[in-house]
Amino acid sequence: MVNCSIRRSAIRHSKFRIQHSTFSPTLPANRFNSFTAYGVGIGLRIPHYDHILGKKPAVDWFEIISENYMVDGGRPLAVLDQILEQYRVVQHGVSMYFGNAARPNREHLKKLKALTKRTQTPWLSDHLCWGSVDGRFTHDLLPMPYTWEAVEWTARNIREVQDFTGIPVAVENVSSYAAFHASEMTEWEFLNEVVERADCGILLDVNNIYVSSKNHTFDPYVYIDAVSAQRVAQIHIAGHTKFKKYLLDTHDHPVLDPVWKMYAHAIARTGRTATLLEWDDHIPSFGEVHAEALKANNFLPHAKALAA
Amino acid sequence: MQKLSRRKSSSRPGAASGLAELQRAITGALMKPLTADEEMQPSNTAVAERFIKPNDRLTAFERLQIYSQQYWWRLLGAFGEDFSGLRAVLGEKKFDRLATAYLEEHGSASWTLRNLGSQLTAFLEKNPKLTHPRTALALDVARVEWARVLAFDEPARKVVAPEKFARTPADRLRLGLQPYIVLLQLSHPVDELMRRLKHTEFSAVSNAVAAAENRKRARVTVRRSGQPVFLAVHRLENSVYFKRHDREAHTLLLALRGGATIEAACETAFADSKESPEKCAAKIREWFSRWAEFGWFCVPLRQ
Repeated sequence: MVNCSIRRSAIRHSKFRIQHSTFSPTLPANRFNSFTAYGVGIGLRIPHYDHILGKKPAVDWFEIISENYMVDGGRPLAVLDQILEQYRVVQHGVSMYFGNAARPNREHLKKLKALTKRTQTPWLSDHLCWGSVDGRFTHDLLPMPYTWEAVEWTARNIREVQDFTGIPVAVENVSSYAAFHASEMTEWEFLNEVVERADCGILLDVNNIYVSSKNHTFDPYVYIDAVSAQRVAQIHIAGHTKFKKYLLDTHDHPVLDPVWKMYAHAIARTGRTATLLEWDDHIPSFGEVHAEALKANNFLPHAKALAA
Repeated sequence: MQKLSRRKSSSRPGAASGLAELQRAITGALMKPLTADEEMQPSNTAVAERFIKPNDRLTAFERLQIYSQQYWWRLLGAFGEDFSGLRAVLGEKKFDRLATAYLEEHGSASWTLRNLGSQLTAFLEKNPKLTHPRTALALDVARVEWARVLAFDEPARKVVAPEKFARTPADRLRLGLQPYIVLLQLSHPVDELMRRLKHTEFSAVSNAVAAAENRKRARVTVRRSGQPVFLAVHRLENSVYFKRHDREAHTLLLALRGGATIEAACETAFADSKESPEKCAAKIREWFSRWAEFGWFCVPLRQ
């Protein structure tokens, strides 16, 4: 159950009340968030394939990891096509590496674009990070040094992806365990600079903000309040794991209470925003994952009206 | 949003070195194999301290180590999943040594972990000590497991209509083979080994309490076969299968894939055969009927 105090704190927020009373579910919340009809989604994961295809549960939308379906044939595409017959799908990438000090790989872009034609994804997301150098891939979401040079590289790369695919891009803040001497600004300042220059949206991961706030000792609400709310196209929620000296973004737990509180605060700033629960390890039954995701409806304006 | 005023780069360590240099140095450090205690190499201390800030709980080295451990655990995990048969043949310790050596040399050159094992066979041929004394078996298993990766999601091209068989003379008809079919000549019955391994893993999973432990201990082997084993690794209704062949069938399929006409491929396949022409013709009819049923024939790329 969601702690009632979370809901109370959300309703106390004045902006929340204003948006709640004036919100129309058919109108875009902002220029970067034309997806207010998308409610709460979950990640499409292999252990749930049989349940989804067999039982066809009602789900607002599924987020897919683009790279898992950027293949030329076989079961991944066959399953995806069946899913697309029934559900709305949004693509989320994990290896475009906008923050690389190199331009995006052309072959990767072509495959990504081909997949967007198949899925008709309304927006594309990937991370505010780097992860490959000279053709060697780390398959990790490595944190950026928050420098002006990095702002320029990252914004340029996002623009290139956006231009090539012709689809709006939302860039996601990552959780991090290291900070660089070279940084010249805070993470939220860096995020805002990048999205302004790239003219793109934000996929705001509130769990990542929480994890990073503990690892780097900052106030996560300062981060949320600083983010350009009018650019938030989507929100991620997830669980994490606490180790002795740091938190790790493991996506293997239900969402923790402090993260729900931050989600409520974020929604109060952004208005109704497409929200997705990430659960990638120790994945429980479909029903359990979906029930956890649907708790977000406690905070989303007009969720009940839309569901009715 | 309040606009930040742009400042010149600071003179702090790392600040003036540029994004590319930072990324190259950090990547180089992450990709050095972990120590026997699964910690980051002490030689990375200088890179960590040059670029990374410590905090009140973790040194720069410890912060970088989180990423280095995740890199290795992620890649070793993915490699282990793709080559579970090789692991079962070599045993845990030897497999881990091999995996680390392979990943240190080749790493990942693709945005997808699917291609992680693409260089493994060549690597094993170059480094027989890593698999001694089971080098021949290890090579066969690695070939089959990489073939399984390809068979899973390589493209399927348009199947040739059976009418085309009928109306085109055999000396002019060329057929392509679906890209997802991998034809292998092995010295061990690896298909049997894989079936046995699957059974072992299934039994382990059925015994819930000891499942993880049993899976770790699962070790399998097969004797070298007296005759070469001809195996097609292919896909049917989105599942991967193994199909054994005669030498002649294997040769015929290779010839077709090489661009030969059906007539030329059949002649190549049965060049050394002592069987009667009637028996050969009956075999060919049976094979083509089965392969067509599997949807193996497609228009050749050159046409």
